[in-house]
Amino acid sequence: MMNPTIELDGLEVQLGGRTILQGLTGVLKSRAIGLLGPNGAGKSTLINTLLGFHAPSKGGARVFGLDSHTNGRSLRSLVGYMPENDAFISKMSGVRFVRYMAELSGLPPDQAMERAHEAFVYVGLGEARYRPVGTYSLGMKQLAKLAQAIAHGPKLLILDEPTNGMDPPARKRLIELICEIRETGDICLLLSSHLLRDVEDTCDEVLILRNGRIASICNLVEERRANRKFLEMETFGAEESFTATLESLGCECAVFGNGRIKVVMPDGVEIREVFKVAADRGVQIRRMNHRRDSLEDIFLNAMEQTGVADGRL
Amino acid sequence: MAVYKRKYNPYTGSLTPEQSRFFVLTRYAFADLFKSRAFVLLLILALVPTLFYAGYIFLANNTMAQMLLRTHGNGFGVDTEFFMILVIVQTQVAFLLNCWVGPVLISGDLTNGALPLFLSRPFSRPEYVLGKLAVLALLLSAVTWIPGLLLFGLQSGLAADGWFWSHLWMTIPLVSCCAIWILMLSFISLAVSAWVKMRIVATGVIFISFFIPAGLGEIYNGIMGTYWGHLLNFTYLLRVMVTKGFGDPEQFTNPRLAPEIPSVAGWLVMILVCVFAMFVLNIRLRAREVVRG
Repeated sequence: MMNPTIELDGLEVQLGGRTILQGLTGVLKSRAIGLLGPNGAGKSTLINTLLGFHAPSKGGARVFGLDSHTNGRSLRSLVGYMPENDAFISKMSGVRFVRYMAELSGLPPDQAMERAHEAFVYVGLGEARYRPVGTYSLGMKQLAKLAQAIAHGPKLLILDEPTNGMDPPARKRLIELICEIRETGDICLLLSSHLLRDVEDTCDEVLILRNGRIASICNLVEERRANRKFLEMETFGAEESFTATLESLGCECAVFGNGRIKVVMPDGVEIREVFKVAADRGVQIRRMNHRRDSLEDIFLNAMEQTGVADGRL
Repeated sequence: MAVYKRKYNPYTGSLTPEQSRFFVLTRYAFADLFKSRAFVLLLILALVPTLFYAGYIFLANNTMAQMLLRTHGNGFGVDTEFFMILVIVQTQVAFLLNCWVGPVLISGDLTNGALPLFLSRPFSRPEYVLGKLAVLALLLSAVTWIPGLLLFGLQSGLAADGWFWSHLWMTIPLVSCCAIWILMLSFISLAVSAWVKMRIVATGVIFISFFIPAGLGEIYNGIMGTYWGHLLNFTYLLRVMVTKGFGDPEQFTNPRLAPEIPSVAGWLVMILVCVFAMFVLNIRLRAREVVRG
């Protein structure tokens, strides 16, 4: 049986006498995991702990079944890490920098060189690979960091705020790249971001942190699947017989003013049956939405449940 | 992930042995160093004295050449004193070379926060330090004990039978004094490089770390009327260690050297300096990211 991607078992981390992570417990099984939380929630500390940089004061964390503290070295051999802050050697050319990092991950020099070129072209920096990294723009540096994180072919890619400082087209391109890497199926993803949309676009599961505690663990795939059965309609001419017929199919209906109806459909009932009933009863459906709890709703709910009224990032 | 395919593929090839992976750092550092003409020039200059020593050994063992120079063998002799001078001169050359190379070794990685990238791989902090230390250790060895041993071998080959066995003991102080000096210089340089980003300032700090304590030691000696202040003078300590290591030959006894300082004190001080530098490196070389906000 495959190990969960990340397991947290009462993880507590203290830094400088302050408890940063407080008894985190949870299992994250998805291939693409998002890490959300306000500043100071403990996201970076969690990532650093998973990488074995911090020793837990209590409990532990496992990645692919490997303890982050006792098996740190084995674990890091499976990881590609893209840090949040600047991380490069300014005088080195891009391709040499990535080759250097790949060699440190254990690739033989010739293989490292080949993979460095491939990674650079893959992230879209092929033309700039011989320039010193120090001369790159912010967006290019982000891409160079991604290239060094994937060059050695890791099993888990940890991305800390990957779209920081990128303009919208560059951000879109990076998110597409991340999705593409995820879709290969050979790599798991842990993405920490302040941008809910980045997480929503790339991740299947979200861990929301608040004040060093878990505010919520949400499986976005299941959430999306559940939301597909929830309809919001604006109708004209709907009478009680319309909702009664829907209810006879097993739907739950709630009627509001101005012809607004919310419908929860059971498994086995498809949308076309709703249209059919409407046509039979002479009801006009002027607007229909799948209600979709956005990640923002989930995030705000998690913040409210943990006592943050405005839920601001 | 072939370039033309533009598609991500995992790596499935072989990996290098973990034990020797720290040499990747050493290899890249050397590659960077040899790009600098100033460094190459300095290295050549550092090796020039060795050529003179070799020439001297040749002359000392070649009667024909001595006749041509009309020295009749006077003034030429390859003995303990010769190798002592070699060690003392070359260790000072090593100090200068270290001042040029050492300051850039770690600072370049720390300036733009590359350290987390090194340490997020199957690569530990001691390995990182070892990789950087190997750069200085190899380089300084190449101008100190390695030419020393080569010259010893040259002299053994040219001298009369029995010279090799009767002088073999000299290789021990030759190698050991150079080794502890190299280790201390390297650790000081790495510690300074970890804290000071600008090369010129770092070089200055390395000089200061040698000359200020020596000055303070002299002041202490002057005020207290003692000689223990010399323990802060690393160059002086090296001379004591070398002199005593080579059997304290009378002809080389320097009246300025305080005979009371035991050789073991020099060794202890240099080991303590190394330990302190390791402590400093341990504080500075951390993988953790700065958490904003």
